[in-house]
Amino acid sequence: MAYALVALGFVLALNASGAVNFAHGGLVVLGGAVAVLADLWTGLPGPLLLPLVMLLLGVAGIVTARVAIVPLLRRPPEATFVATIALAAIIEQSLLLAMGNAPRTAPPLAGSGATEIAGLSVGRQPLAIVIVGAPLIAAVWFLLERTQVGRRMRAVASDRYAARASGIPVDRYIVLSLALAGALAGVAGQLLGHQFLVVPTEGGGHMLRAYIAVALGGWGSIPGALLGALGIGVFETLVSSWLGDAWASAALYVAVLAVLSLRPQGLFGEPVGRRA
Amino acid sequence: MRWYWIVLLILPPLAASFLLPPFGQRLVTLVGIYALMGVGYQRVFGQLGALNLAQGALFGVGAYAVALGAPTLGSFAFAAAALAAIVVAAIAAVPILRLQSHYFALATLALASLVNLVAIHAESLTGGANGTVGFGASLPRGVPLLLGVWLCLVAVVLAQAYYFAGRRGEAARLIREAPLVAATLGIDVPRWRFAAFVLSAAAAGLAGGGAAAVSGVVSPDVTGFPIMLLCLTSVVLGGARHPMGAVVGAAIAVCLPELFRELNGAWLLAYALATLAVVLFAPQGIAGLIDPAPAPLPPRMPDRLMPSTSGRHLVLRDVSKSFGGVEALSGVSFAVARGEIVGLIGPNGSGKTTVLNVISGLERADGGTIELDGRPLERLPPHVIARRGILRTFQTPLPGESRLAGIARAVASGATFLLFDEPLAGANAAEQAELVALLGHLRTAGYGVLIVDHDTELLSKICDRMIALDRGRVVA
Repeated sequence: MAYALVALGFVLALNASGAVNFAHGGLVVLGGAVAVLADLWTGLPGPLLLPLVMLLLGVAGIVTARVAIVPLLRRPPEATFVATIALAAIIEQSLLLAMGNAPRTAPPLAGSGATEIAGLSVGRQPLAIVIVGAPLIAAVWFLLERTQVGRRMRAVASDRYAARASGIPVDRYIVLSLALAGALAGVAGQLLGHQFLVVPTEGGGHMLRAYIAVALGGWGSIPGALLGALGIGVFETLVSSWLGDAWASAALYVAVLAVLSLRPQGLFGEPVGRRA
Repeated sequence: MRWYWIVLLILPPLAASFLLPPFGQRLVTLVGIYALMGVGYQRVFGQLGALNLAQGALFGVGAYAVALGAPTLGSFAFAAAALAAIVVAAIAAVPILRLQSHYFALATLALASLVNLVAIHAESLTGGANGTVGFGASLPRGVPLLLGVWLCLVAVVLAQAYYFAGRRGEAARLIREAPLVAATLGIDVPRWRFAAFVLSAAAAGLAGGGAAAVSGVVSPDVTGFPIMLLCLTSVVLGGARHPMGAVVGAAIAVCLPELFRELNGAWLLAYALATLAVVLFAPQGIAGLIDPAPAPLPPRMPDRLMPSTSGRHLVLRDVSKSFGGVEALSGVSFAVARGEIVGLIGPNGSGKTTVLNVISGLERADGGTIELDGRPLERLPPHVIARRGILRTFQTPLPGESRLAGIARAVASGATFLLFDEPLAGANAAEQAELVALLGHLRTAGYGVLIVDHDTELLSKICDRMIALDRGRVVA
């Protein structure tokens, strides 16, 4: 579920800017780090910190858009790739300087232990993740599909030039998309940060998983990205119980290369045709 | 290349060999090593514009090849390093190179992560997380290593500057900015990509081998993303397309941490900030700022037309093409002969552009035959069709070029049959007049021309014959 949030933020940023945001993994880690620090300073319980983390990471998303995406819209996508890679390195190095290399644990959303639901024993923490994650995903879906703001965001995503010609302030909607992507990254960061610890150098790993999810799920398709993220989660769990964690990742990368070589347009195809 | 660059390329190794203490020599060697990796990288990233994220991993492959090979091979282990990287790249190239920008970046990133995992976990081969030591004794070190590395670097930089100076630089620009246009001009894009990827891998492998010889230790870190990041940022910082960009970038990357030693890890932060600033404000890089690249010359109409010799008849028989149930073309048959100007008219969506795409090989026809003097064309890739003498233009000019630039490029290529896609759309009176005059010359010189447009009146004035297309069928 947390992967799905990472992938969702990634695909929002991707659609808005038309280029891969390599800093997305950095934003996820930053979310975890903000949660850790906020916990240290305020001592508030995890659920109350969540809105704060979302707010701060939304701001980080805006900064990302203003610094590394909007100024490069008229340049080939590779320029944005490089700019966001540099941004990811900036986030990673700043966190290393601020926190050191030692992993930290983000505050939990709920106490540990398990709850009985309909006779099944369910861990409270995973349950809390689902309770937070599912409405968020539903909310993003509602925003995109059922509101005017969302329609405009989709218009910007599908054709920036046509959107500008129709009078939509394109830059502002790109910034808005990135703010949303940042907030989602913040939530994901806090959730993953409790489950797997906050490690400054893990940003690349988060980014790669989201990237894979989006590529396999169909470039720019939101349901595809969510499916892809869930698929990766299931795949890694199954294979790692069989071969161990490291080879599970290796198997994932081999699978990605195999899929891309057989279906260069992703498992479910790319909605946009190529243009001459 | 300007003289001061050549001085800058030859002076450091010589000065370091005679004047610097061993520590300084080590730094200059490292500059040479990272520059070598970067120069290779410029081919793929700078010239062809593909974001390859596996260069760091290929560097690591080279380092491991030297670590494992040195005890038996001695100095020949460097050749093994280049070879190992070439082999890995060539195998990976099969699935990777067909991919477009963001998929290419992802696939190379997956490859790099895979190499990194193998380095960490295949302990019997690589020594696992602790790495491999004790091979350094059988390798050159100090001044011989320094000179060897820089000799390779100078050779590669000069060869690359020479190679991309003329027509091939223009070909690379077309592949980067408009791969379809490049293919329809007869440029074998897949072969270019493959050559660039594999040669760049060789440079990375060699550089990795050099790095192993300098440090005497190889651990999984050499395959890690930080090396890739160093390569990418130094090339961007120095100048992705400037012949000396990689050298300038590597010099900064190696010397900066030494200058800011007391800042510890902060130099990486400063480095990333500098890279971001360069991407935003000086996309041509530092070397490009000092010595800007000349603007590409706009394609010019050739002064006189060569009477064309090859090919007589271009014949389409019963060609059909459908896109997911929509029949774009059904049973289209017509012929164009040399010395003939044929107009292809029809309303929007009648399949005019599809006809051109099918002839030039960008789309494959579902049925029917396309022949040039009886030889079938319909299964050939675009660049082969272009080399047989059939060239097309596109509706949209490349950024920064005039409307007639694409036409000039096509005419200058010397192809016999020219297919123009709406050459007059949005053209002003002067451009129209120029085109009409050109068509007259083309007819006299014995070219065959097929023009697609909606403007029946104008076409009827300049064409010998017209074909009308409606909903994928020839109607007149």
